[in-house]
Amino acid sequence: MTAKGDMVYAWTTSSDIHGECGGAVTALLQHALASGMVDAVLAVCRGADLYDAKLELITDPAQMPKSAGSLHCGTLLSAKMVKKYLGGAKDMKIAVPVKGCDAMAFYELAKRNQINLDNVILIGLNCGGTVSPMIAREMIAEKYEVNPDTVFKEEIDKGQFIIEYTDENGGHQHKGISIEKLEEEPEGYGRRLNCQRCKCKVPRQADLACGNWGVIGEKAGKATFVEICSEKGAALLDAAVSAGAVATCAPEPKGLEIRGKVENAMLKLGDKNRAHQFAELGEGRERLEKIMKLSSRCIACRACIENCPICYCVECSTAKPHLVRPGQVPPDFMFHLIRFAHIADSCINCGQCQELCPMDIPNALFMHAQQVELEKMFGHKPGYDMTMPVLSYAEEMEERARLNATGSDMIFENVFKE
Amino acid sequence: MEMEYVTTTCPYCGTGCGLNLIVVNGKAVGVAPYHRSPVSSGKLCTRGLHAAKALTEWRIEKPCVRGESVTWDVALTEAKKISGYSGDEIAVAISSRLTNEAMFLALRYAREVLGAGNIGVVGGGCGKSTGKLSELAKADVVLMIGDVMKRLPVTGNKLYHVQKHGGKLLYLGPESYTAVQADATFITEEYTTIPAEFTEAITVAANPVVMYLAGDAAAAAIATNLPAKTAVLYETNNGRGAALLGLEQFVLGEKTKALFIITETPEREEDIYADLIQEVNKLEMIVAIGSNATYLSDAATVLLPSAALNEYPGTVTNWEGRVQKVRAASAVPEDAKCPCEIISLLSDGKYAWEDKAAIFADLAAAVPAYTDIAYEEIEKPDGIFIKEE
Repeated sequence: MTAKGDMVYAWTTSSDIHGECGGAVTALLQHALASGMVDAVLAVCRGADLYDAKLELITDPAQMPKSAGSLHCGTLLSAKMVKKYLGGAKDMKIAVPVKGCDAMAFYELAKRNQINLDNVILIGLNCGGTVSPMIAREMIAEKYEVNPDTVFKEEIDKGQFIIEYTDENGGHQHKGISIEKLEEEPEGYGRRLNCQRCKCKVPRQADLACGNWGVIGEKAGKATFVEICSEKGAALLDAAVSAGAVATCAPEPKGLEIRGKVENAMLKLGDKNRAHQFAELGEGRERLEKIMKLSSRCIACRACIENCPICYCVECSTAKPHLVRPGQVPPDFMFHLIRFAHIADSCINCGQCQELCPMDIPNALFMHAQQVELEKMFGHKPGYDMTMPVLSYAEEMEERARLNATGSDMIFENVFKE
Repeated sequence: MEMEYVTTTCPYCGTGCGLNLIVVNGKAVGVAPYHRSPVSSGKLCTRGLHAAKALTEWRIEKPCVRGESVTWDVALTEAKKISGYSGDEIAVAISSRLTNEAMFLALRYAREVLGAGNIGVVGGGCGKSTGKLSELAKADVVLMIGDVMKRLPVTGNKLYHVQKHGGKLLYLGPESYTAVQADATFITEEYTTIPAEFTEAITVAANPVVMYLAGDAAAAAIATNLPAKTAVLYETNNGRGAALLGLEQFVLGEKTKALFIITETPEREEDIYADLIQEVNKLEMIVAIGSNATYLSDAATVLLPSAALNEYPGTVTNWEGRVQKVRAASAVPEDAKCPCEIISLLSDGKYAWEDKAAIFADLAAAVPAYTDIAYEEIEKPDGIFIKEE
């Protein structure tokens, strides 16, 4: 029996699963499905090629092995998909493999009553970051001087982005380049910009946190390091072990230490990248002017809203004619101010409002920069637990009445001025 | 419950962005980004984001003759009466929104069965680009003529890369969104020449590009005289494909008594048939094929409901000449048919319609730009470029 806080090495006992590091994640998901703990798994499967990851709802345990193996180019907003297309898991039990940002999005939507977390098993995946597919291909061609179509495996390990590929003679080769080095280059290679700023590398808010960091000794490459983060996670692992789907052993003590070091190194790099990227935004008035100038590219297509894992309102304020004049391109700056006001305290830095912006507005950078400041001011850390966001503490009518009674409608005067 | 992603190409503009249609229980219910798209890296504008809705809103549901619902047999019998007119009296307007395969079959039907003298395309354009999207981002000077960035937003996106790398965007045309983004502008409602400083900037540039909309003859005339690569932007998803088939802008013509028209226009697009509707009351017969209602649906003598893009498989060619797959995500609605099947039925089976690879092979044999391109190659995520014309 395991309990919250325990850590084990785990691996599949099935010869059908050819997963990463012993295939424990696939085996756990398969067991959750086969044992009836869940009705379905929202799995990440390989699409057209190695660079294409797509979601698929799997209900047949026999289909589970096809989701095995990691794909570092995908970021799929699985929480939003569960909210939008699977009824927020209100009427079905599902298991979902999640990166840190996905896990955070599940919490933020659950807080807003858009997802029933009781019906969801989150299998966390340690994540050193993801690479946008077209950037990965260009980077592999230009920096690795390898035809991206010949690559059959990619991974991020020991601070390097490593590819394995087939050379002209059919031999297997591998090549790694330091992530820091790739990301310093002017071309913008390396991980997604938001991944560079991420500090949720081991998603402990999931039920289990799984990864290869800290697997050493004879199990290196053959087992997954699993940290049990909830009773639900412990129950799944115990059930999978007693059913013989997964085998476990105690982790090497040295492995624990290494895992901690890897995580810390990643967090430090995240801090460094935050400092660097936020500094480019400037401060105070300069920052505001920069945000206004770049957001004047906006064509009001609403891709940022459609893709934001926090946005869920049926009636969006940005579509209200008294706030944002309809049909104006670029729209009034109020469009962006509304987004900042509604999202910034809860931004989980998934990066998609920026990556999917047809006009390349650095929306995620703006939003994340504000989130970090708001967290300093109010102490709300989005995506880690069920604590409600800052604004939810105010009763709107009461607050309006209080502000009214001061005789000024200036929020600055009322809230921030001593 | 079943849910899967079907990767396909956006049915709106000529950029050819890739997207994933989210299919739940056999029905497309939403759109998810397709980061692997060589064209758009997952980005979509407002139209692409609504590609699933285009399959459900304002659909033509039943075959009709003079506004009355009829069976397919009755509608087809009625539609075939168009052959009673001479070739000179028949005009055929093909949609630049069909797949290459459907367009090719429609063109063959127009020529070989109807013998139509007047065959054209609505909302197409002309001109070929000598530059590609990947080259755009690397240009050092881009002259944009007209509101190109707003009309094809994800193509426009690459122009921000130009600025990021220190390149300059020049703009010629009326006040517009694109004008606001440019580094230098010359605002004018009409244009026949460009300012001397623009010519100078393009002449000294290492990788200059001139970009304009495929329907813009004045811009095309300016571009001809400039030592720059061209990016000729088609505003429909297969305008370039239509141009490759030699289809020119449709004009109804004086002699026309009967019109055979494919009115493919997904929901949210401007009704490009609004102009044509002014002229059609002089016609004796209109056979219209389409998936979504347009002004012409009401005026049609015979109206045949067709499958929409993303309900039948095929290929489309974007403005840069990249041939990409369109995949069937949703089932064809009960009383609608694949446009290829409709052409086949109208021609009494003269054209086989089910095997799209075979139709593409015929197309590749007939049109030099597609020579040696195999249908299977287009299946790859990067699609395949046409041969230089």
